[in-house]
Amino acid sequence: MRLPWKKQAREAGPQTSEFERLALPLLPSLYNIAFWLSRNETDAEDLVQETFLKALRGFASFEPGSNFKAWIFRILRNTYLTSRSGLAARRTVALEDELNENGEFGPAQLPEAAIERQTPETNLLLMADRSSLQAAMETLPPPLLEVVLLCDVEEMKYREISTALEIPIGTVMSRIARARTALRAALAAQQSSSREVRV
Amino acid sequence: MTDHLSNAILNALADGELTADQQASANQHLAECPACTSYALHQSLLKSATAKAGLRYAPSPQLHERLASLASKTNSESPATCLLDAPRSPSRSVWGSLGWATAAVLLLVSVSMILVQRGTQKDERASAEDAALVTEVFDQHIATLAGSQPLQVISTDRHTVKPWFQGKIPFSFNLPQGLPSDTALVGANLTYLGSQPVAQLLYSIGKHRVSVFLRQRAGKTEANKWPAERSGFHVMGFNTDDLDAIAISDVDPVRMAELVDAIKYAQTGDQKQPR
Repeated sequence: MRLPWKKQAREAGPQTSEFERLALPLLPSLYNIAFWLSRNETDAEDLVQETFLKALRGFASFEPGSNFKAWIFRILRNTYLTSRSGLAARRTVALEDELNENGEFGPAQLPEAAIERQTPETNLLLMADRSSLQAAMETLPPPLLEVVLLCDVEEMKYREISTALEIPIGTVMSRIARARTALRAALAAQQSSSREVRV
Repeated sequence: MTDHLSNAILNALADGELTADQQASANQHLAECPACTSYALHQSLLKSATAKAGLRYAPSPQLHERLASLASKTNSESPATCLLDAPRSPSRSVWGSLGWATAAVLLLVSVSMILVQRGTQKDERASAEDAALVTEVFDQHIATLAGSQPLQVISTDRHTVKPWFQGKIPFSFNLPQGLPSDTALVGANLTYLGSQPVAQLLYSIGKHRVSVFLRQRAGKTEANKWPAERSGFHVMGFNTDDLDAIAISDVDPVRMAELVDAIKYAQTGDQKQPR
């Protein structure tokens, strides 16, 4: 697949001061996602540093005006996949992933039963505090966690996420749907276990 | 085809990914289907809650410094600088002076860039906080409209609504005596924005509903910097020394402004009567 930013490396690429201008403001976002994925400070720092180095080295091939954020997140993600924590995660997570893309809107329809319309989930969410939700997010496997972080925290569009993660848009959508279903289930489980403790 | 909106549509709705046609079709369905409206609201709440919970880890200043110097070090090895390090020519002193001058200029530029960047980051942070506030306000207003929970105090009488908040919020406010035509107080809720207790006042203007959120003045947030619209709903507000007020509705913004003005005058004690 030919990606929008890919082109032959120029002899004289954009100046690295441009790299600083583009990359340094993204450091908090990169580090946040790196920490979520690697689950520890040292690995997160290594991951971000390696991402910066790779991005610097490859910056000559970055096409000015294209999506730098998607470009550098893609480097972060690929760096993570080949890191110790990324490799360990890949060994332990089997994700039956791809839903069909039917050429219309998004992924194949999820079974209607997956939508629990009548449960008082809104109340559940209103009652859940930040730490409960963080605990729920920690239970997500990395492929679901990364898509939720990019979509909800980084507010990236499905197309940008698709580019950053090198997956089809339909897969982005199915992962978001599954991630949110998993978050609701985890919050509900927390809620019921805390009720049991009180009883 | 099911009777309800699909999970994919509901997620895309929360993520702002629907096309105009899909959005119109979804809105039409939501207007008639409380179950989907409730679910859409939940998706929206989950998204905003995840956005906040997901912002968890911040890089250390040491890492920031290390990466900044890494980038600037590569900078200093740029062709221009390499030229200065080239074998010295007979005009060595000229090049040497030029080197120091360039270094001084680079230092000044770097310092300026850092200052500008800090300012920009501060602006971006403030803008993100404003956007998050409006998102929360929007979610709360939609939740109120969905009618899944009745108002905590239902009254058109300001002398009933205002005292109801006594002991529930750490501030006080005034409710206007006179309201613009066709405008009435419906009731109020005690709710939360950014984990702070706020008073949510619900007014009707014709058949439209307006939520006005009053909270204790938080930081230096400026009402005129809040996004003016969110998903077709108008947003406006004001700040006083003690309060932030933010109103949201799909009513004509001119009529909404009349109500907001009336509430503002009630706080400031201004004698000007609502239009």
